[in-house]
Amino acid sequence: MVEKWDWLPVLGISYAVGIDGISFWLVLLTTFLMPIAILGSFKAVEHRHKEYYFLLLLLETGMLGAFVTLDLFLFYVFWEAMLIPMYFLIGIWGGKDRVYAAMKFFIFTMVGSLLMLVAIFYIAYQHKVQMGHYSTLITDLYQLHFAGGAGYFSTQSLLFLAFALAFAIKVPLFPLHTWLPDAHVQAPTAGSVILAAVLLKMGGYGFMRFAFPLFPEAVATYQIPFMILGSVAIVYGALVAMVQPDIKKLVAYSSVSHMGYVILGLFSLNEIGVTGAVYQMLNHGISTGALFLLVGMIYERRHTREIAAFGGITKVMPLYAVVFLIITLSSVALPGTNGFVGEFLILLGSWSVSPTLTAVAGLGVIFGAVYMLWMFQRVMFGPIRHEENKSLKDLTGRELVVLFPLVVAVFVMGVFPNFFFQKMEPSVQRFLNKSNITARN
Amino acid sequence: METLNLIRPELLTFSSDQIRTLWPYLIVFVGAVFTIIGSVLNGKSSKWLVFLVTVATCGAGIFHSAELMRDSSLVLFNGMMISDAYSHFFNVIFLGVTLLTAFASFRYLDHEQLQHPEYFVLLLFSALGMMLMVSSLDLIVVFIALELMSLCVYALVGFRRNDRKSNEAAMKYFILGSAASAVFLYGVALLYGSTGSTEVTRIYELVQENFALQTPVYTLGLVLVLFGFLFKVAAVPFHMWMPDVYEGAPTPITGFMTTGLKAAAFAIFLRVLITLGYGKGLADYLQSHIHDLFWVFAALTMLVGNVVALTQTNIKRMLAYSSIAHTGYLLVGIVAGVRGELGFYPVIAYLLSYAVMNLGAFVVLTILGQRGDVGLNLHDLSGISARHPWLSFCMAVFLFSMAGIPPTAGFAAKYMLLYSAVQAGEIPLVIIAVLCSAISVYYYLRVLVYMYMREPAESPTQLRVSLWSQFALVSMVVLTLQIGILPGKVIHLAKKAIMSI
Repeated sequence: MVEKWDWLPVLGISYAVGIDGISFWLVLLTTFLMPIAILGSFKAVEHRHKEYYFLLLLLETGMLGAFVTLDLFLFYVFWEAMLIPMYFLIGIWGGKDRVYAAMKFFIFTMVGSLLMLVAIFYIAYQHKVQMGHYSTLITDLYQLHFAGGAGYFSTQSLLFLAFALAFAIKVPLFPLHTWLPDAHVQAPTAGSVILAAVLLKMGGYGFMRFAFPLFPEAVATYQIPFMILGSVAIVYGALVAMVQPDIKKLVAYSSVSHMGYVILGLFSLNEIGVTGAVYQMLNHGISTGALFLLVGMIYERRHTREIAAFGGITKVMPLYAVVFLIITLSSVALPGTNGFVGEFLILLGSWSVSPTLTAVAGLGVIFGAVYMLWMFQRVMFGPIRHEENKSLKDLTGRELVVLFPLVVAVFVMGVFPNFFFQKMEPSVQRFLNKSNITARN
Repeated sequence: METLNLIRPELLTFSSDQIRTLWPYLIVFVGAVFTIIGSVLNGKSSKWLVFLVTVATCGAGIFHSAELMRDSSLVLFNGMMISDAYSHFFNVIFLGVTLLTAFASFRYLDHEQLQHPEYFVLLLFSALGMMLMVSSLDLIVVFIALELMSLCVYALVGFRRNDRKSNEAAMKYFILGSAASAVFLYGVALLYGSTGSTEVTRIYELVQENFALQTPVYTLGLVLVLFGFLFKVAAVPFHMWMPDVYEGAPTPITGFMTTGLKAAAFAIFLRVLITLGYGKGLADYLQSHIHDLFWVFAALTMLVGNVVALTQTNIKRMLAYSSIAHTGYLLVGIVAGVRGELGFYPVIAYLLSYAVMNLGAFVVLTILGQRGDVGLNLHDLSGISARHPWLSFCMAVFLFSMAGIPPTAGFAAKYMLLYSAVQAGEIPLVIIAVLCSAISVYYYLRVLVYMYMREPAESPTQLRVSLWSQFALVSMVVLTLQIGILPGKVIHLAKKAIMSI
């Protein structure tokens, strides 16, 4: 499905949108989570309601636009336009250090995307040089071939790096992840949910849609370095998450770890790995989104997120504990939940490229179980040590309505992955073919 | 040597066509004279009279200039002036800027008890100076127009007579501006001495006919003329006057200077450069020297402007340094225009976009400023969005636009500008430019941080926004977004303008 209008014919820029098997699921994820995020944090927003919902919808526009666009220029427009609402969401409705977090988020992303902009200029101009007319339509740009690729600093590799920097900051890939914990901890609940569930996917999606097909040889050159970074991110994120005293920060670092899997899977460059990576992006959206909602719910009741402030919550909030357990297990990739399918496929895919890195990444699975379950144990079990916790109310009807679809999604995606794969596979295959065919030329 | 008394009679007669092309200039001149007469009439009526005459003059001038953009080029007064799409394109910008400055000033002048009719007289005369300057083809006429414009603006900068800062700014601007004019004039003299003409097209022809004319004196003259222009556009290292002047001048005048004056200086700069054969026709060594010179100036201007702006706490001063930074981006366009396929039109489109967004920002500042132009520090804006959501929204649009974030005019313009630079192969310069824009994001957003994310300051005075300012703001916001989303029209006009040189 494609829709195309000439926008700025002088520079070959058009408004072209369309979806395929990959963007379809990401669009669905966005539209699925948006109402949930809004309803889930209904009570958390106490002032400036009008602006809040205006910005959320603006954000959704930007995200959907970035997922469906088929024009590089348009992609950049949406990619940048997304920043503005997120900046305000963190900065106005965020926590104590919100200004610092918002600024850091904005500047990190901006630096990355501006270098991508230079690469976009170069590519757009190359189309004119190689094909004789201006165009920024990606289907046209896929036909281009950029010099070099084998070298680490050839033209193609530099272009790839410019794109990769923008996407890696968004993912975020170790060592560019430092904005994420700040942004997550300070953002309001709905902001964290959307940031984790959808915005981070933009990076992985960008790699697939733009970086891989445009620079196949450079991708092959940088395959191992990126897989190493992915594995490091998995282990590093998990280790740092383990020592966090704040639940939200712990979840934020778990995001770094989980997105490391996505990078590992994408850069294994085979069908299994890439499919796993796309699946993992959806999983992460659902599980981490749900985790942030759950953290937000307890924060609204207790106004703290310190793990040490809790303990024995099971006794006063049994329903909450059950939902939290399901999501925790999904996050640690228990078979039968969605997380398992994604991580399994990714590890399977990366095994064929590098068993060593897969083994390192496998460690992350263990650490993941450690930090999540340890946190769960400290929050949920044991005696109630704090008086305030005795009077906590269990989930309300609204909160149950919000969490129910997510729990269902965890199991459906864990038990019937094939339904999702059917739609994804042709598109994944097409991307891989495109990368390989051009590589052989 | 060429003789001076080569007068082409056909150029001395006035045809009705020629009269027609002079309409915008005549209108502004007559309008300015009327404002003088109006200012003689004392009392309250003169304020409204002068204001309305100014508005009507600008409106009529814009209308005529826009009409004339469709006509073909016409040389006037024995080759001293030219009426082409380029000059009328800029006339529209100048008069638009003047009009909106008048709108923004009206309530401001009452508020500051500066309501003297001379304000509008000076405004109109400096607009006339800009218009004449951009349509002149003779360096002497350029100089006269430059002085007409500058002298009026010197007076306007010092318009707050009892304020030390304003006086200091006017003095500083006057002395340094005169020095720059002298440098420019000296360059003109050297060019005349080495070629025998002050007409730009004639100089180009003479040099083409006889390459030996490109003596060291000619080179020196050329460089001095360029330095004179670079001073006016405040390129580093000729920028030292600017922050003080921008801070000291009355706020609407600062807006007028950053947009009108800068557009005028760049417009004539570009016209003289292109007409003298920059890009095609200049000797290779000169071409490459000028290229290197501009390259260095562009890089320095962007770096200094952006980095120093980071440390400013006064918003007017911050915008002054940001204005220097934008000069740097424009110089990138001038460096790139020679080899890029897009030519120089991105520079013009950028000038227009910059005028729109920057003027908008200054209109907001004019409204926000307290008596005596104080209260324009960052912390004075704390929490202003709660009381003035629309004003803050406008400011947000302008600041995002200046930072170059889509979907605003600033982004579209910057996209074209840097795109042309990549085409020209100036990739290191483009990388400096984008890294500088990344720096700039910090200081632009810091204003928004204060406006949106801080608690309101202790004294919540409700500001009243006059109808005139509202009109100015709405039109600037609409234009900023319109150029950002549908830049096709502006590109078309800019292209047409640049083709006519």
